[in-house]
Amino acid sequence: MDLETLKSFEWSVMTPEFIILGVAALLTLLDLFLPKKMDRRILGWIGIVGILAAILSVASLLNVESTSILDDSFTFDAFGKSFKLILLVGSALVMFLAISYDAKEGMEDYRGEFYYLFLSALLGAMIMTSSGDLITLFIGLELLTVSSYILAGIRKHNLQSNESAMKYVINGGISTAITLFGMSYVYGLTGTTNLFEIANKLAAVTNGQQAYLLGLAFLMIFVGLSFKLAAAPFHMWAPDVYQGAPTPVTAFLSVISKSAGFVIVIRILISVFYNAAPTDNGEGILFKMHDYLAVIAAVTMIIGNVVALKQTNIKRLFAYSSIAHAGYILVALTTMSSNLLYSIWFYLLAYMLMNLGAFAVIQVVTEQAGSSKISDFAGLARRSPILAVLMGILLVSLAGFPGTAGFIGKLNIFVGAFYGTPHYVLAAIMIATTVISYFYYFGIMTQMFFRPASDERKLNIPFGIVVVLLVAVVGSILFGIMPNIALDFLNNLH
Amino acid sequence: MIFTGEFLAFMGLALVAIIGGVLLLNLNKVIHMVVALIFTFVAIAGIYVLLSAEFVAAVQILIYSGAITIIMLFGIMLTKHDDESEAKSGKWRKLFLFLGILGFAFAVYIGIYNFNVEQVPTKLHENNTLQIGEALYSKYIIPFELTSVLLLVALVGSIILAKNDKKKEADKE
Repeated sequence: MDLETLKSFEWSVMTPEFIILGVAALLTLLDLFLPKKMDRRILGWIGIVGILAAILSVASLLNVESTSILDDSFTFDAFGKSFKLILLVGSALVMFLAISYDAKEGMEDYRGEFYYLFLSALLGAMIMTSSGDLITLFIGLELLTVSSYILAGIRKHNLQSNESAMKYVINGGISTAITLFGMSYVYGLTGTTNLFEIANKLAAVTNGQQAYLLGLAFLMIFVGLSFKLAAAPFHMWAPDVYQGAPTPVTAFLSVISKSAGFVIVIRILISVFYNAAPTDNGEGILFKMHDYLAVIAAVTMIIGNVVALKQTNIKRLFAYSSIAHAGYILVALTTMSSNLLYSIWFYLLAYMLMNLGAFAVIQVVTEQAGSSKISDFAGLARRSPILAVLMGILLVSLAGFPGTAGFIGKLNIFVGAFYGTPHYVLAAIMIATTVISYFYYFGIMTQMFFRPASDERKLNIPFGIVVVLLVAVVGSILFGIMPNIALDFLNNLH
Repeated sequence: MIFTGEFLAFMGLALVAIIGGVLLLNLNKVIHMVVALIFTFVAIAGIYVLLSAEFVAAVQILIYSGAITIIMLFGIMLTKHDDESEAKSGKWRKLFLFLGILGFAFAVYIGIYNFNVEQVPTKLHENNTLQIGEALYSKYIIPFELTSVLLLVALVGSIILAKNDKKKEADKE
């Protein structure tokens, strides 16, 4: 390959990635050369400007036909565009949270580092959305996870943060090893790392033994990636990590990192295994493994929702709630309905909005109280009525009530469960666990509206939090009432 | 099954690599663990040679068996290392773990014993380093550049987490 061929690729489709990379590099240098005394929040604002520029550049590239660079090592297709937008908008919101983050044992010394590690994690997630090569996907995944390990432990003098980072590193390392082992089997059986070539080669596999090994590889990759999704029974790390990490990082892990996990699961599992080693009636490995997926989805929903019931720490509660939400999305993955992509995309969009909004409120309340107990929410309605009402709307959306984005998201998945071969059991479990989830979401509501406050101080709400809450609440209601906007947007992508 | 020289060499190297790994987990002193690790590293380098990936083998020896081991030894030397490993976990847990590993090993064994891999002639042994270089700087340039970002992140991260804060020390004095 000579320089001419290298130049002939349309590198312009990578502009969003280049912007994020450039801003991360710029922040690193600025952090080095700015005077020590200067407030590092300015770097956060530069980061936000960078992310917004990246959003604009994705928006301007929306009409570009699917292109790929260097043997699909970077592919810019409708899938990548739509999920990249979710990741970027979510990251911009988390950045606003981070700028307003001011906990006691905070990260004063490492605020600058926080911003650019955050951008590098985002870069990894973006690469995962648009790559058609196992190696590039894996490096994107590692970039995301290595950055998140450090982010989780950035409050160096806080014991819980240390524990959180340590647990995350060990669990993450093991899960990466398992994923990589599975990928090595796929590579060994096909001799290529390009996802589309792999899919073509696997579609021709008829040998039973090869199919068996592919099944093993599928399970290993899925188990490894389930750690990233925090799906049960591989969810044990999530509550401890979410509790110990600084609130913006928790928000990041529960939204961006989880979305990126689903993106890579869809990329690898669906494109590689959908038609792999088909049986006589054309059912690929994914279909044969379908029962395992169903079990994991069901267990995730049940464990997430049931264990959330007895939590007293708000961050732990949201950790279990995020496990439960991963379970709902896994239902969509299991049923393989024709609206699979739309329902997962929409759910992640809705989940991003409502969860980040909820974390904005959690951050304000826990900072003021200095602890993260659920009882700190007592009397929020009297201390700050607006905040309580907004949190109420977000909780209703998380619980999945009609009129909110969370409802439409669940409805899409629920309806999808009856396409093709109906999955009555999964659909029933989904309904039952959703009802269970009302208990803990409304538990927070009772605290906010009906319990007397122990602390009557008014809450001051920083500007960043206002922005996040505004976007989250408006988005949750808008997509709840007019979900067609999102559907039309996705259908018009090409 | 035919016992060629290559097969015997592979068996030997694989055995050393696995034994090294198991010892690494079971030994009690840190220095012993490092020595076990060196065995694994060198054995893996030998497997690379069998696969005609000479360059990777050389790098494996230079970086893993050389540089990383030395850094680990320095780390051990400069830190408190008289701690021995923690108390053992429960008997039942160990049993279940063992059964799990056995089950997994059995599942993989069913898949690979008698597995017929089609031999495809390759040109990997000709100008091995040149081929790696060409692939790395043309077809795999995107992951290659991302790896450098990844290394930068790891570097920044290790500095943040390991740096001794001056302010705290000043407070103590």
